[in-house]
Amino acid sequence: MSALRIPGKGRVDHAQPVRFTFDGKSYQGLAGDTLASALLANGVHLVGRSFKYHRPRGVVSAGSEEPNALVGVSRGSGREEPNTRATMQEVYDGLAAVSQNRWPCLHFDAGAGADVLHRLLPAGFYYKTFLWPKRFWDRVYEPLIRRAAGLGVAPSEPDADSYASRYAHCDVLVVGGGPAGIAAALAAARSGARVILADEQAEIGGSLLAETGARIDGQPAWDWLAAARAELEGMANVRLLPRTTAIGYYHQNMVGLAERVTDHLAAPPQHAPRERMWRVRAGQVVLAQGAIERPLVFHGNDRPGVMLAGAARTYLHRYGVKVGERAVVVTSHDSAWQTAFDLADAGVSVAAIADVRAEVDSALLAGAQQRGIEILLGHTVTGTSGRLRINAVTLAAAELVATAAGRVLRCDVLLMSGGWTPSLHLFSHTQGRLAWDEASQSFLPGERTEDCHIAGAGRGLWGLGAALADGAAMGAAAARAAGFSPDMSAPTVEGDPAGSGVTTTELPGNRAAHNTRAFVDFQNDVTAKDIRLAVHEGMRSIEHVKRYTTTGMATDQGKLAGMNALAIAAETLGAPLPAVGLTTFRPPYTPTTFGAFAGYHQGETFDVTRKTPIDPWAEASGAVFEPVSLWRRARYFPKPGEDMHAAVARECRATRSAVGMMDASTLGKIEVVGPDAAEFLNRMYTNPFTRLGVGRCRYGVLLGEDGFIRDDGVIGRLAADRFHVTTTTGGAPRVLNMMEDYLQTEWPDLRVWLTSTTEQWVTVALNGPNARRLLEPLVEGQALTDEAFPHMSVSECRVAGFSARLFRVSFTGEMGFEVNVPARHGLELWELLAAAGQEHGLCVYGTEAMHVLRAEKGFIIVGQDSDGTVTPDDAGLGWAIGRRKSDFVGKRSLARPDLVARNRKQLVGLVTHDPRTVLEEGAQIVEDPNQPLPMTMIGHVTSSYWSEALGRSIALALVEGGRMRMGDMLYLPMPEGTHSARVTGTVFYDPQGERLSA
Amino acid sequence: MTSEGPVRLTLLPEAARFSLRVRQSDIAAAARAFGAALPARIGQTASAGPRSSLCLGPDEWVLHTSTDDAEALQQAFAAIAGAAPHSLTDISDRDRSILLSGPLVEDLLSTGCPRDVSSIPLGAGVRTVFDTVQVVLIRDGVTDFRLEVARSYLPHVMALLAMANLELAVAAG
Repeated sequence: MSALRIPGKGRVDHAQPVRFTFDGKSYQGLAGDTLASALLANGVHLVGRSFKYHRPRGVVSAGSEEPNALVGVSRGSGREEPNTRATMQEVYDGLAAVSQNRWPCLHFDAGAGADVLHRLLPAGFYYKTFLWPKRFWDRVYEPLIRRAAGLGVAPSEPDADSYASRYAHCDVLVVGGGPAGIAAALAAARSGARVILADEQAEIGGSLLAETGARIDGQPAWDWLAAARAELEGMANVRLLPRTTAIGYYHQNMVGLAERVTDHLAAPPQHAPRERMWRVRAGQVVLAQGAIERPLVFHGNDRPGVMLAGAARTYLHRYGVKVGERAVVVTSHDSAWQTAFDLADAGVSVAAIADVRAEVDSALLAGAQQRGIEILLGHTVTGTSGRLRINAVTLAAAELVATAAGRVLRCDVLLMSGGWTPSLHLFSHTQGRLAWDEASQSFLPGERTEDCHIAGAGRGLWGLGAALADGAAMGAAAARAAGFSPDMSAPTVEGDPAGSGVTTTELPGNRAAHNTRAFVDFQNDVTAKDIRLAVHEGMRSIEHVKRYTTTGMATDQGKLAGMNALAIAAETLGAPLPAVGLTTFRPPYTPTTFGAFAGYHQGETFDVTRKTPIDPWAEASGAVFEPVSLWRRARYFPKPGEDMHAAVARECRATRSAVGMMDASTLGKIEVVGPDAAEFLNRMYTNPFTRLGVGRCRYGVLLGEDGFIRDDGVIGRLAADRFHVTTTTGGAPRVLNMMEDYLQTEWPDLRVWLTSTTEQWVTVALNGPNARRLLEPLVEGQALTDEAFPHMSVSECRVAGFSARLFRVSFTGEMGFEVNVPARHGLELWELLAAAGQEHGLCVYGTEAMHVLRAEKGFIIVGQDSDGTVTPDDAGLGWAIGRRKSDFVGKRSLARPDLVARNRKQLVGLVTHDPRTVLEEGAQIVEDPNQPLPMTMIGHVTSSYWSEALGRSIALALVEGGRMRMGDMLYLPMPEGTHSARVTGTVFYDPQGERLSA
Repeated sequence: MTSEGPVRLTLLPEAARFSLRVRQSDIAAAARAFGAALPARIGQTASAGPRSSLCLGPDEWVLHTSTDDAEALQQAFAAIAGAAPHSLTDISDRDRSILLSGPLVEDLLSTGCPRDVSSIPLGAGVRTVFDTVQVVLIRDGVTDFRLEVARSYLPHVMALLAMANLELAVAAG
């Protein structure tokens, strides 16, 4: 056991030692330790190198605000995390941590050369230096900066952990489990309110965990804490969430909580998520985040062994760890005196307390004298020494600093306190106003925008008694606002070491300005000099100073640096502090893993993949799939040895010569029902629908108000008041929303209702000269002759014994049918048709063959041959516009001058000079391939395929004034050479449409 | 369909399900045809024999009945079409239903549903989302819910529920 660990002291389990490694060296800690407390117990202060100057750095704090002690933690095989705060990582048996930003090792780092050159690396260095020469940026500067930027090594393997998420609702959410938070939770919970209490530490208690002297309600503080915790745990209306950081406060009291579920376990149970993101919707929020101690700014304040006084007190009382053997305290606040007393009482030699104030409370002076601690009032720090750990501090009386040499005091830790900054990050997320409080020289919560209450040190109250009383009051206020009747009583406190203090800027020193290394932002290596330089170079607002110097832009978001940077900037500007402003805090409060945000969205559940009932058959048949919106669709069905070209050619041939079968279930379907159904469709679509007969179908084109094509599909009339509308696969939800929008806002008088039926039906498309022969024997209740059931008919009948909606439609130019049966029967119907089709030469085809077959007929695909700027006339669908219709959606726009311009891009066919050349979709088209660059592009290819039926390539293209260019030769300059192609009509195959009833 | 964990997940067999849309003025006539009440408040349910209704919107109900009764139900509504115009659309095959039972069912649902599931009264139903998917959630008992989801989203929802159920097993164990 190390001499620094006090036997039996603290909240760690002295009976449960654990072994862990840091930079490969094995150490012993105790259950309940953080990595930081365990390292400190082993006398290790040096834990990392700084970001810019690679200066040796040690543990500064005992909480999530830690700027220096950032380490890499690994469990192996994809479980690696850089920049873990050693002050938050709990030790477990086998924990392996490494230091960062050093090469070859922590004790000797080659990058520290930057520190020697610090005068050449001022604030704004990158902006000034890497401007010139410009061509160096991409190849030299940026890669160099990128390598230098950032701490730690990003993991290269996929994250092997799983992450969870949960929604939660409560009447009162309390953020922070210190005395104020506990009192608030108790007050609210006792009134019956549903309460969630979240705290980022392993156990709730906050400052109480380091409080041993005070008595609450007559009990020692820890006994009161244990009782309070037991009471909260025992209430069914309370959810306690330790190890849970409130990372963001969003609109209407939605607060994000990131819970660390297994990071503290040596062997996480299988299926346990590593982290869980709670999305809490709270009626009322109590923010009891406490205050963060402010470092002092002086030359050499970043040396390992220089740390916050409050942290030293936490390590002593909570972890039983003396942070050093010989301490010096330098402070501007009473709280550090108490730390000095506690350390002295625990056997640490406290050489001196230096206070920047000329006068302090007599009780503190007496306490120091009692313990034989030298008192140095009105003193400043002029420097520290020690390479990898502080070994001495030089102190001088403030008024004599320029002339006197100062006193050198040997020490192995220097404990500092510059007062306490209320933690208002989450309040800031709500866009709540902060108000400057002149008396305490701090920002306090002002006007609130959400139903939240700020309690305790977070609103500048100091001392245990005040925190408990305020917590209870705010908890009660929150409960009352949530509709409960809380009891108003606050615990009584004795032996509360209350105190006060002053704030400072950079402490007076005796070194030349350019040689002073007084750090403001430890993590981003920003010094007081950098802040002043930024002001001298014209930055007036703290937002500019921040961006110029990077102060407050590290992963700790300036939790320690913020107020010091602001104070120094204000002093340099000679302006009042609030006039310089305060930077905005943004979520997340502390660095949060991507995994916590992703939650369950990884692997199989990364996103929805919709599959039709036929999908298992396609998969078993070796289909190659493609994503179409959220659906996966079979693209083609290769036989052994076939590539896509061969498979698609075979599928096309079979469909044109015998019969092809395709799963068209993904087509959107909307049931439009009501006495005004026909009138409604007549207004929505360009085509006339009022006089469409029952049992008949019509192709419909849907426009937006702008007159551009939005969607298309076949619409069948099943009854006077019932239509079966089909949409494109990707357009289904959009079309339904658009229709519903018009119905509710424009025509609420129409008696018609819309129901999405996409998934009610499995749709099997049969196309080809043998389609009728295959289907006929299976259909009951409908003759399939051309007379009884001509092209564009629909019938409710039975197919293979299933009730069906049978369409005679064609998207291939062949005789075509689409059989719709209830989805549960879809696969059975499919298998039945596949078997029955054998004697008719049936071939199953996928979306690729479908694309080829429709392109041979010049049928457009909305979204491929149109792009949201194509009118029906552009697409050659002028015939689909009901000329005698008084109105339809988009009609007025179609008369706009630019929509009737002769030179609009129009859909035409292209046949390449070389029939074997299949153009690239998206290829740009020019009139003259020899014109100078940049050429004038007059259009582009929208669809391009090998046509097996024609034995050559075909393409569709949108070309300016395309229909006036019939027969013209156009050119397509491509990287491999320029192709030439002749403009044709869009129907390449069977222009007379004779095959529809062949 | 089973899943490891404290909540029993059962995929229910297909049953008859219809979407009914009708104006306020014709609700009474529609309810007579239905043979059971059509509650006026969104979220409320009513039932008689095999037939039950759940109000999802000011003019929208989802009707459930047995497969055997489906045709009779359709005929009853067809008979009033002239007097009380409405839309009755068969969605029996559009959605599937999952039965979720067990004391931790609210926790399981809260892994994907942003609503306060505990506030859904017994016998009430809501249209909401689970993860990114629209679902209808009906509370049949203190620890029993039915989740109705469009067929193609079922595997995604089921996979998420199974995963979260395993996670609950760890927490409960």
